[in-house]
Amino acid sequence: MTADAIRICGVHKRFSDLEVLRGIDIEIASGQTVAVLGPSGSGKSTLVRCINLLENIQGGEIKVGSTTITPKGIESGGRVLGSRDVARYRTNVGMVFQSFNLFPHLTVLGNIIEAPVQVLGWKKKDATDKALALLEKVNLSEKANVYPAFLSGGQQQRVAIVRALVMEPNVMLFDEPTSALDPELTGEVLKVIGDLAIHGRTSIIVTHELGFAREVADKIVFMDGGKVVEEGPPAEVLDNPKADRTRAFLRRIA
Amino acid sequence: MSFNRIWTIFYENSDLLLQGLWITIQVSLIAFVIALIAGLILCLGTISRTRLIRAPAVLVMEFCRNTPILVQLVWVHFAWPEIIGVTLTPWQSAVTALALQSSGYLAEEFRAGIESIDRGQVEASQSLGMTYTKLMYRIVIPQAVIRVLPGILNQFVTCFKSSSIISIIAVPDIMYYASLIVSQTYLPMPVYTIVALVYFLLVMGISHLMKLATRGLPNFGYFHTRNAPAGGA
Repeated sequence: MTADAIRICGVHKRFSDLEVLRGIDIEIASGQTVAVLGPSGSGKSTLVRCINLLENIQGGEIKVGSTTITPKGIESGGRVLGSRDVARYRTNVGMVFQSFNLFPHLTVLGNIIEAPVQVLGWKKKDATDKALALLEKVNLSEKANVYPAFLSGGQQQRVAIVRALVMEPNVMLFDEPTSALDPELTGEVLKVIGDLAIHGRTSIIVTHELGFAREVADKIVFMDGGKVVEEGPPAEVLDNPKADRTRAFLRRIA
Repeated sequence: MSFNRIWTIFYENSDLLLQGLWITIQVSLIAFVIALIAGLILCLGTISRTRLIRAPAVLVMEFCRNTPILVQLVWVHFAWPEIIGVTLTPWQSAVTALALQSSGYLAEEFRAGIESIDRGQVEASQSLGMTYTKLMYRIVIPQAVIRVLPGILNQFVTCFKSSSIISIIAVPDIMYYASLIVSQTYLPMPVYTIVALVYFLLVMGISHLMKLATRGLPNFGYFHTRNAPAGGA
């Protein structure tokens, strides 16, 4: 698997009059992990949602591997591609949501094999074998035939991560993956992300977990008011922040 | 008038009444099956992102819901021949009018069900690379149907009860025969009491069966429970 590099150039995003992203520039080398920190409303979640086109951008462009996202959608060779190409692009970009978003009418296994079988056209047996192998890695083998409602939040999020990983994406996006969890359950999810999910992939993790960000990230990006305030290696940004805004934020949540 | 007298009148006319009842059941069942299909199509029209599809679908749905069944019945039977040049038999008009009325309500049931599905379900499906058609068919509609099934079954009961007016265009249903018997015996009280009892017992029976059926629905530990287990997605 060759991970894709991500290049975000001058990205703007507005929700009617509210400008949420005001010219974002971030470069992420292939295989790198970036942790995005910042206060609520700083545009972190919107940024990752723009990368897999759950939101359209209004200015700038995002390059993921050979794909370019512009305000018109996905473009290739100057041509705007259709919704099927958007769907195909998304199979390469895994997303983990704050609220898990598992499908309640499918079992754990059903959740995981749904997209490989229905979207990628895998044989059900191949998808099941792969799903069970991944479930074992996240210690949830015995829950394969259970419905999501019977799992704890931490277990649900681990299933959601496996559901994204089974597609073998080159890029993983995490939108506050532990914010809806009790502190007790946070650890098990962070361990799966750190040990399994980000390996060999370009990853963006929106998080408030400073210790985790320091441990797994190659780069920290601190955002505020729709702009990147500061970015750099974890030791630099977390221990010796240059901007006053970063210092104030870190002091408050540390 | 004694209970015995009511029973005797029922016994003497049971052939006619049961014949009428069979027509009532036939008309309401066929109308409802048509309404299920038409309702789903109407619903998909009303949530379409294309205005050219959405606007007429909403108009048709609102028309079906906001005109009385009696008016629809006589309109279909007496006005359609002139408006669209289609003349229907009384039986066909009855099925059409009942299907029209029910499809409007069913479309609204389906729409409410689909819109009650959390936006996160759609986003998760999209982020896994599903197209709109696939995510509706695999993720949204299965969840929506389970949620609205009790409402859909209730609509059948309404359709069944509404069918009692189709005798006004001379469809030989149970009410039609009841009126016929009254005109011969001059005994409205026992005859209409019998009809009321037949409807009451049948509708009670159907409702009870529906309750049993919805109780047997797959629950997934989530649907139809007020208190979903903690952390329910």
